Amino acid sequence: MVHQLSFAGFACKNLLRRRLRTLLTLCGIGMAIGAFVALVGFSRSFEHEWERLYSSSGTDIAVVDKNFMNTSVNESLTPKLRAVPVVAQAEPMIFNIMDITPDVNALIFGWHQDSYEFDSLTFTSGGRFQDGKPEIILGELLARNLNKKVGDTVQLQGSTFTITGIFHGGTALEAGALILPIDQLQILSSLQGKVSGFHVRLRPAPPGESPEHYLRRAQAEIEAALPGLNAQAAADRASNNQFVGLAHAVAWGTSCIALLMGILGIANTMAMSVFERTREIGILRAIGWKTWRVMMLIQVEAIVLGFVGGVLGIAFGIGGLHVLATLPQTASVISASFTWLHLVEALVISVLSGLIAGAYPAWRGSHLSPVEALRHD
Amino acid sequence: MTSPQLEVRNLRKSYDDGRIEALRGVSLAIDAGEYIAISGASGSGKSTLLQLLGGLDVPTSGEVLFEGATLGTTINLDEYRAHRIGFIFQAFYLLPTLRAIENVQVPMLAVGGSANHRAERAKALLLELGLEHRLYQYPNELSAGERQRVAIARALANEPSILLADEPTGNLDSVNSARIIEILTGIQKTHGMTLIIVTHENDIAHAAPRHIRIRDGRIEA
Repeated sequence: MVHQLSFAGFACKNLLRRRLRTLLTLCGIGMAIGAFVALVGFSRSFEHEWERLYSSSGTDIAVVDKNFMNTSVNESLTPKLRAVPVVAQAEPMIFNIMDITPDVNALIFGWHQDSYEFDSLTFTSGGRFQDGKPEIILGELLARNLNKKVGDTVQLQGSTFTITGIFHGGTALEAGALILPIDQLQILSSLQGKVSGFHVRLRPAPPGESPEHYLRRAQAEIEAALPGLNAQAAADRASNNQFVGLAHAVAWGTSCIALLMGILGIANTMAMSVFERTREIGILRAIGWKTWRVMMLIQVEAIVLGFVGGVLGIAFGIGGLHVLATLPQTASVISASFTWLHLVEALVISVLSGLIAGAYPAWRGSHLSPVEALRHD
Repeated sequence: MTSPQLEVRNLRKSYDDGRIEALRGVSLAIDAGEYIAISGASGSGKSTLLQLLGGLDVPTSGEVLFEGATLGTTINLDEYRAHRIGFIFQAFYLLPTLRAIENVQVPMLAVGGSANHRAERAKALLLELGLEHRLYQYPNELSAGERQRVAIARALANEPSILLADEPTGNLDSVNSARIIEILTGIQKTHGMTLIIVTHENDIAHAAPRHIRIRDGRIEA
């Protein structure tokens, strides 16, 4: 069969001309996309773990102050909340993050010993703590990182706590978490009588009422009974809480800076390539290539750079997230799971980066006068 | 009476804000199928005239007409270059990253058609020019004469009606020069094409049925 030249093949041959430069450019965009995949994957994984945390415990509604980080809700509101007709169970809870050792930090929850939230945990050894006692239970990942077992002690803020149980949680957040009696956490944080919020299980929806409508009605009833507090659907709370928001903001902010650097790398490569090939562009124009076709050739080269860089970046990103999922400092908040949507998104962003980066060099190259271009040395 | 294939009316071309006048009012008519040599000293304006005839550049004033229609207004220059004109340059201007057979396919990418048709036509042209053993060589693996033959095949790729050659033998020895001129005149005869050669070599200029001399931007004879 006779050797055929395709438009895309022509573009690829141009890229292969300066292999080292192309490789370095690919590494640049690859690192940028890798940062996007890893960081945004990290923040989404964090959000996903939150969603699972709520769903695994069967929590329907989270009742919180307007500021989630400010644990200023009075625990004394518990009876009032439990008295709302739609509420089946309501548990006060405290949530925070604490450095257990200089290398290991963990999510820390304060619950009552009879909280329904224990339903989502399976003890691999030991059992629940008792309210009023300096006792704690550890997620299995945290226990492994700390090399602790039931009966050992853990120092928290200068106080000694005895481990009564090691549990297997349904999420990475739980696996890396530490749970202690809510009264003990209030003492540790010097916030007696205060909690982060309440987790609520609703009674079954009455026949004939849709789940969505029932949830909205329950939120309204709770907010009416507890003025000044927000009753949020658990799924909304998982995706909108400030920890997740902060993780998303940092991930996107850092990724955007990395992507900008990647785009500049491609733009620089394409600008140099167009400059070096000025005469060749003149030849193409002389033999009948239209302006838009020359522009498309340069853009295809930039898109190929973006696409291949994107594939490399996805590999970097997946590798990076797997590393993060095993580090003691981060394993408690993420799992190395990806969605196809995220990977497609990364690829689309990398191709768009190529398009943006190639736009000016393509415009400049295609608008060269054929005669001027042919005279170029 | 039929109109000429190419007609040039009072063509002027100046550069550097008018300080350099390359062409100073050239008028010319060329019929289809003619073989014309344009000669002149370096800087006389012969290459500028060829570029304007081929739609590579636009005149400062005057007009170039192809089959009675003005280039650049009635006729789109890109379309004109793609379908009507085949260019051959002194320095060959082959694309170094492409094999001989790929170089010949490049102009055809501009006009569409199937990939198989492009490849078959490129092969046929290279075979016609005696390059059957050099189809897959890169330009730097070819001799100067072979490169110019590949460039001729590329110029013929889209079946133009006019071949414009700017010093096509300028970088060749006498044997290869004679071969290239023989090939070009052979193509002109067999395909009935118009052939316009710019040259500074008297032998080539005098051998052409019609010889135009340019001096200081004007036609001498």
